[in-house]
Amino acid sequence: MWFKKSNFITLIIILILIYFSMRITEFDLSKFRDFRNMIDFLSQWWPMDFSQLPGMVEDTFETLAMAFLGSVFGLLIALPISFIAARNTAPSKSLFHFMRVALSFVRSIPEIVIGLILLTTLGLGPFPAVIAIMIHNVGVFGKLVSELIEAADPGPQEAMRAVGAKKWLANLFSILPQIWPNVLSQFFYRFEVAIRTSLILGFIGGGGIGQRLFNDFKTFQYSSVSLDVLIIMIMVIAIDFLASTIRNRVI
Amino acid sequence: MIQVKNLSVHYPDTKVEALTDISLSLEKGDFVCVLGKSGAGKSTFIRCLNGLQKPTDGEILFDGKNIAAHNEEKLRKVRREAGMIFQHFSLVPRLSVMQNVLTGMFGYRSSFKNLIGWFTADELALAKRVISDVGLSEMAYRKVEQLSGGQKQRVGIARALAQQPKVLLGDEPVASLDPGTSNHIFTLLTEMHERLDLLTIINVHDIELAKRYATRILALKDGKLIFDGPPERFTNAEYRETYTADPQTAFFDAGI
Repeated sequence: MWFKKSNFITLIIILILIYFSMRITEFDLSKFRDFRNMIDFLSQWWPMDFSQLPGMVEDTFETLAMAFLGSVFGLLIALPISFIAARNTAPSKSLFHFMRVALSFVRSIPEIVIGLILLTTLGLGPFPAVIAIMIHNVGVFGKLVSELIEAADPGPQEAMRAVGAKKWLANLFSILPQIWPNVLSQFFYRFEVAIRTSLILGFIGGGGIGQRLFNDFKTFQYSSVSLDVLIIMIMVIAIDFLASTIRNRVI
Repeated sequence: MIQVKNLSVHYPDTKVEALTDISLSLEKGDFVCVLGKSGAGKSTFIRCLNGLQKPTDGEILFDGKNIAAHNEEKLRKVRREAGMIFQHFSLVPRLSVMQNVLTGMFGYRSSFKNLIGWFTADELALAKRVISDVGLSEMAYRKVEQLSGGQKQRVGIARALAQQPKVLLGDEPVASLDPGTSNHIFTLLTEMHERLDLLTIINVHDIELAKRYATRILALKDGKLIFDGPPERFTNAEYRETYTADPQTAFFDAGI
């Protein structure tokens, strides 16, 4: 009653994919029998070493600043582009297609690749990391916001055209208030992702708490590593809390 | 005020002949109700009058100028003289009553002033006046989502009045309101129509409302104009002709 023949075929295909993926990734739970090594390793994380705390806090703010700038600039650049990349507001069909392709091209380059390329001209430090996060976010926000624009209620858009407003102004005023809360929640999500990305970019010399974590790890300072990890967790949870507070105020 | 000559519209993708060869003349002071079944072409007709819909054929003379030949910029100047209200109110969500009404003046102002939201004392006074005309003074700074359906349509009317229009168009403005509220909205429309000496053209499917308020009735059927005259001449025979389906299509219309 609930299942069709095609459901079973889908199920079989998924099972085959799972099997081959497990083979390729050497997925084997029996390997966990050596988990004692992991406990030995983790026991070195304790007790935490608080001597580097001021430097860690400073690096945490650097990471936050990188993530914030990268996502704010990304959104600001992406907003006007999104109106060109949305079917209903694009000035012309060819410009729409061009923008869509350009955005997916930008999105397809991982931040770490942009970061590695920028290192050659900008040197080590947080600045190339900010630019890398920003460029990638332009691609991501461009896609997300243009899809929100396409899904916006067409009624107000027609009404704004009917009062005789210029087309771009009519689109802006009828669409932006509608999609704003969604744009905001996308922004906070991308901000959170940018924090994680800036950690990874720290591994290639992008500064911040990510770089400190990587250095502590490479120099076997496990009692500092544990504090780094704790600080990162607190930071992510705090941002999540802040984001939901602000979003609730807007709606 | 508005002359329509041999107006035809077809939608190429669905191959639907929405309007066929409509000719008529609408004058200042007319309170016109357009009747017809769903899909008869009422909405298309109204949208042609302010250029939201491009005619396939024919002319529409708005103040003597053929708007069928207008580009977007010239159409904009026509549209700002024609206020329009909608079935689903089409207000901008998250903005207040006041902000929605002020957008009605966008056609007359520079883009820069619109963008930064700078309004002159006269413009603000006009907005306050039209809000009080529709009886919403106490709610001027509420967000429109908090209003009831009838109040939302009043905001729609206030936005149209803020354009200081010569023509008022309504596309099924009471179709999603209850009968009592619909009557209130029509009373308000009549009052504004008389005070500002407008040409008012409104789509309705409620024939009682049309007979009570209109000075002239148009009836459309399958995109053709089958009646044009004063309400007292729109009798049962005309009613049946407008609303009864052809035998071939009756099956599909049964649910409407």
